[in-house]
Amino acid sequence: MATPREETISVGGIDVHAWIGGQGHPLLVLHGAGGNRGFTRWMRQVGEHFTVWAPTHPGFGRSADAEWMDGIDDLARFHLWFIEKAGLGRPHVLGHSIGGWTAADMATMSPGSIDKLVLVAPAGLKPETGEILDVFYHSPAELLPMTVHDPKTIPEWNELYGRPPTPAEQEIALRNREMTARLTWKPYMHDPQLAHFLPRVGNPALVVWGREDRIVPVVCGEQYRTLLPRARLAVLERCGHLPPIEQPDEFARLGIEFLEAS
Amino acid sequence: MINEHHSTPSCVDVGVNMTAAVLARTTRRAKILLLGNILPIEDNPVRMAEQIAMADLISGGRVLSGFVRGVGIETWWSNSNPIHNRERFEECHDLILKCWTEPGPFRWEGQHYHFRHVNPWCLPLQRPHPPIWIPGTASPETALWAGRRGYTYVPFLVPFEIARELFEFYRQGAAEAGRTVTDDNLGFLICAVTADTKEKALEAGRHFVWRMGPTLRGPVDFFAPVGMRSRAGAQFALKARPRSLSTMSYEELLDGHFIVAGTPDEVVDRFARVRRELGVGHLLLEAQESRMDHPTTMRSIELMGAKVIPAMAGV
Repeated sequence: MATPREETISVGGIDVHAWIGGQGHPLLVLHGAGGNRGFTRWMRQVGEHFTVWAPTHPGFGRSADAEWMDGIDDLARFHLWFIEKAGLGRPHVLGHSIGGWTAADMATMSPGSIDKLVLVAPAGLKPETGEILDVFYHSPAELLPMTVHDPKTIPEWNELYGRPPTPAEQEIALRNREMTARLTWKPYMHDPQLAHFLPRVGNPALVVWGREDRIVPVVCGEQYRTLLPRARLAVLERCGHLPPIEQPDEFARLGIEFLEAS
Repeated sequence: MINEHHSTPSCVDVGVNMTAAVLARTTRRAKILLLGNILPIEDNPVRMAEQIAMADLISGGRVLSGFVRGVGIETWWSNSNPIHNRERFEECHDLILKCWTEPGPFRWEGQHYHFRHVNPWCLPLQRPHPPIWIPGTASPETALWAGRRGYTYVPFLVPFEIARELFEFYRQGAAEAGRTVTDDNLGFLICAVTADTKEKALEAGRHFVWRMGPTLRGPVDFFAPVGMRSRAGAQFALKARPRSLSTMSYEELLDGHFIVAGTPDEVVDRFARVRRELGVGHLLLEAQESRMDHPTTMRSIELMGAKVIPAMAGV
């Protein structure tokens, strides 16, 4: 895959930082609360088959602030606008965690704007049993080991988490956490209305979950599969809340297979 | 002085206006300082304006109305987004003041509060409204904000040099608004106990250590939820308390004037030093803590009234 490039795309007066790379049908990738990690291993593999557009949500990382945003529905409307401004036509959309919730919400608002949908451990639904972990209760240092199943099995562990963050990275981590609080504080990490709109989404959908997810319980995967008319659920064993990072090769294989199927 | 907190053993007064109403009937002359109502977690500022007004009426106009941002615990208790804490504090304040000072009915369509018909009939006895007091522990923004409005500003649990810096922010705010800062504008809150002997006072003073330590033990994100402090506020807090009070020994807490414990003469010396160092017009005493028993507490209050306060009048 050619080296990805970075661009700033203005949407509604907000400068959005984005990583773009690969070739083929556009695939919009929406990151989770941890922020935009750029072209990690799974994305490079997917980039062999699709043109990956990975914007950083407003208020996160190097994108501009959007203090007026109040919930994931705002972010969903924003990214539908981003699709138009970036000229992506009718892209596949893949979102992880709160990015997955955003992707699902976008599909309920405008299913025709999206081709296929990949939801990776998305928040957004209240679990029928158990609870979504309160991430704001814990420091980032405490959260990391709870987020993954087993650091030893993660190929990019050292690259991504192997050294203490620089002051600039700490500032970005704080921004990410603040914006996540702004978007998801109450009702915490879910939207009671979402379940009523998911049946509208007739797009082919793949829901991916880690069996050992300690952030958003895997039961939510069953709920998404039941509510989305054309969804399949893939549960990865010995995997926590970060399937794309914990099992990048298997995750990329699943994603490519699903997106390329006719 | 009464305060309000939630979900914490450090203060089990869960309704400052309720306590104010009780004190309004059990006292005759004393001012009743509410320090205070926690604005950001309040969903109905109109009701709060009415309740403070009612306490003022029952007390015959003795309420001093303090407003606070609350501590992290109240964010969890109320499930109020900490990102909005300061915005809600200011908007809640603005609406309460409007309830007290402008005839209704009026409409309030703000950012965090929305009321289609505001028309309170229960208004404070003190006109235009009871004096407003604001405590501070670290946020420069709060000191500036209080200074601009001429409210009485009271730092708490900070070293003298930090209190002086906060007062500088207060003065800066006052200057921006063209206000003169008087003694009445500045206060300081201190944990203090006195007894007939030094030994007894020092023994009693140890109870204050509890509120500096065990009640604050826990994950930092619980006490300081994300976004509750601005970057400037967080940096100032780090400077204000490079060491957490919970890591200090009793002796260090005494040396730093976080706790005052001694005979009446010794306490007068300490308070005089506070006055010299800070130039404050109000000194507030946290006079009881945790397991400090009733006789010890009452004797301390008696000695404060009989010896310390009269001696302070000459300082």
